[in-house]
Amino acid sequence: MSTPMPVNILMVDDQPGKLLSYEAILGPLGENLLKANSGREALEYLLRTDIAVVLMDVSMPDIDGFQLADMIREHPRFQKTAIIFISAVHLTDGDRIKGYERGAVDYISVPVIPELLRAKVTVFAELYRKTQQLEKLNRELEQRVAERTEALRESENQFRSLANSIPQLAWMADASGSIFWYNQRWYDYTGTTLDEVKGWGWDVVHHPDHLQQVTEKFRHSISTGEQWEDTFPLRGKDGNYRWFLSRAVPIQDVNGKIVRWFGTNTDITERKQAEEALIKSERLAAMGRLAGIIAHEINNPLEAISNAFYLLRDHPSLDEEARYYSKLAEEELARVAHITKQTLSFYRESQQAVAVSLSEVLDNVIELQSRRLQVNSIVLERQIETTGVVQGYAVELKQVFLNLIGNAIQAMPEGGRLRVRLVQSSDRRNGRPGVRVSIYDTGTGILPEHAKRIFEPFFSTKDAKGTGLGLWISKGIVQKYEGTIRFRSLRNGRVHGTCFSVFIPAVATTVPPTRAAMLVA
Amino acid sequence: MILCVDDEKNPLVLRKLVLERAGYEVITAGSGKEALEILSSRAVDLVLSDHLMPGMSGAELAKEIKNQNPQMPVVLISGVNDIPAEADVADAFVSKVEGPESLRRQVAAVLLEKTGDTGPPLGQ
Repeated sequence: MSTPMPVNILMVDDQPGKLLSYEAILGPLGENLLKANSGREALEYLLRTDIAVVLMDVSMPDIDGFQLADMIREHPRFQKTAIIFISAVHLTDGDRIKGYERGAVDYISVPVIPELLRAKVTVFAELYRKTQQLEKLNRELEQRVAERTEALRESENQFRSLANSIPQLAWMADASGSIFWYNQRWYDYTGTTLDEVKGWGWDVVHHPDHLQQVTEKFRHSISTGEQWEDTFPLRGKDGNYRWFLSRAVPIQDVNGKIVRWFGTNTDITERKQAEEALIKSERLAAMGRLAGIIAHEINNPLEAISNAFYLLRDHPSLDEEARYYSKLAEEELARVAHITKQTLSFYRESQQAVAVSLSEVLDNVIELQSRRLQVNSIVLERQIETTGVVQGYAVELKQVFLNLIGNAIQAMPEGGRLRVRLVQSSDRRNGRPGVRVSIYDTGTGILPEHAKRIFEPFFSTKDAKGTGLGLWISKGIVQKYEGTIRFRSLRNGRVHGTCFSVFIPAVATTVPPTRAAMLVA
Repeated sequence: MILCVDDEKNPLVLRKLVLERAGYEVITAGSGKEALEILSSRAVDLVLSDHLMPGMSGAELAKEIKNQNPQMPVVLISGVNDIPAEADVADAFVSKVEGPESLRRQVAAVLLEKTGDTGPPLGQ
């Protein structure tokens, strides 16, 4: 009888004759038969080799079978080794139990029946073989599991480092849309923790004006499985919102079932601002060109008419009434000329921006307006705290404050207070250093319905007196300096007035030389 | 003697009348080409030309005049808002919106600077 994988059978007996007879009985099994004459010898075998079954005589001189069994069992490696006791003496029930208590597996009594011994050894040898195979299989499985786990961990690590290296914010949601993971950039940008924003908790960084629409669209994608795309602002940890283009794709298992969503948010704030600025500057440039063309077409006949009235004014044939009409016409013509001139400032400027002191500019403007201040009983409060030097063109800057101070005076026909303030300051948007000029009046204030339109061209509240271009041109000039112009106005019974605040950076990065304020506005 | 150049008839005539009122003698030309022809045969103290004209522009005319006679004072007048770079060849660039008084002053200033002429005889 051959076996695919012989196992070791250790036979222990102090009588060599008995060992020989066991050998004869078990020989046909085809296993490796090892013979030990004593318990000590048996232990040496056990330590050296893997033993499937120990066949031992209970009564031996130095170490008896039970003692040997105890020693074997103490060793962790042999705790499950099969032991068959062979007892020559009559077995009592007590001996039997004692044997079992020591973990013995079986007994054979003398006289040994060869078939029985073979059968029992065969069972244990097979059991050992099967156990070995199982253990081997188990080890292989464990090895494979370990390898796969390692591979997964590796790919997980790769994914995470990839997800953290992309410039986008990234996240994953389960099939129901509940987010369970964000990349590091998300946390860096929003300043949140996973606990705050997991699941549907991300609503805390959304702008309230957009949240409902964003949520609806996202839920729609989750329920239909369609890719998600949306554009909305997200609040950073500094409290400022930035615009993000956001996308999410469903990840499916082999059966096509959506198991999770992978999403990104790409910061498009600068792109959006650039687009808006481009549209705005294109619109302004187009308006500037249009205004230039119109003004030119007006200027030609205007010059001729002005010349005609100039010649007519003192013509000897005119009587007093005709001269009066001529004078009225000339005055009105002067207004037309004023409009086109303001639209198309004709000043030849230096080609390079130079250091301009805003305190000098303001003093100059105040000087120009001093008569009007006096006539209208307006008290001037001058709060000039700095020389306010900026790089630029004095004429343009003068134009801005002439417009603002002129407007302030016009808002106070019954008198009031005009406060002109000049301080060192910084841009509220980016902290850039510069100068802030504030013009306060105690006038009638700006009607709320006018507030949104006052910087539009040809918008005027002064009826026939204004060109409607002053603030528009002023804003254009300020923006060219990369500055800001804002206003606040109160019309609250006794408390009323307006404050225009202009910020000009100390050094603008791009102030192109200009010839006409209009074209760059 | 001032040579006034403009392609538009009414503005040309009125500008001539304003200058005559100021005491100058004025002749006119309807184009740059005509102006050059006149200059080749007559003595002129100053050329006052519109800038934007069909054919030869005021700046081109000024350049041509300066080529032939660098001493000839040339004043350009225009309704455009942007001073063209090539207009630098002229001695002055006058805006149409500034009005007749301004035109008189600038013409007088250029004549004084270029020829030492202290001004026209007083007008009638």
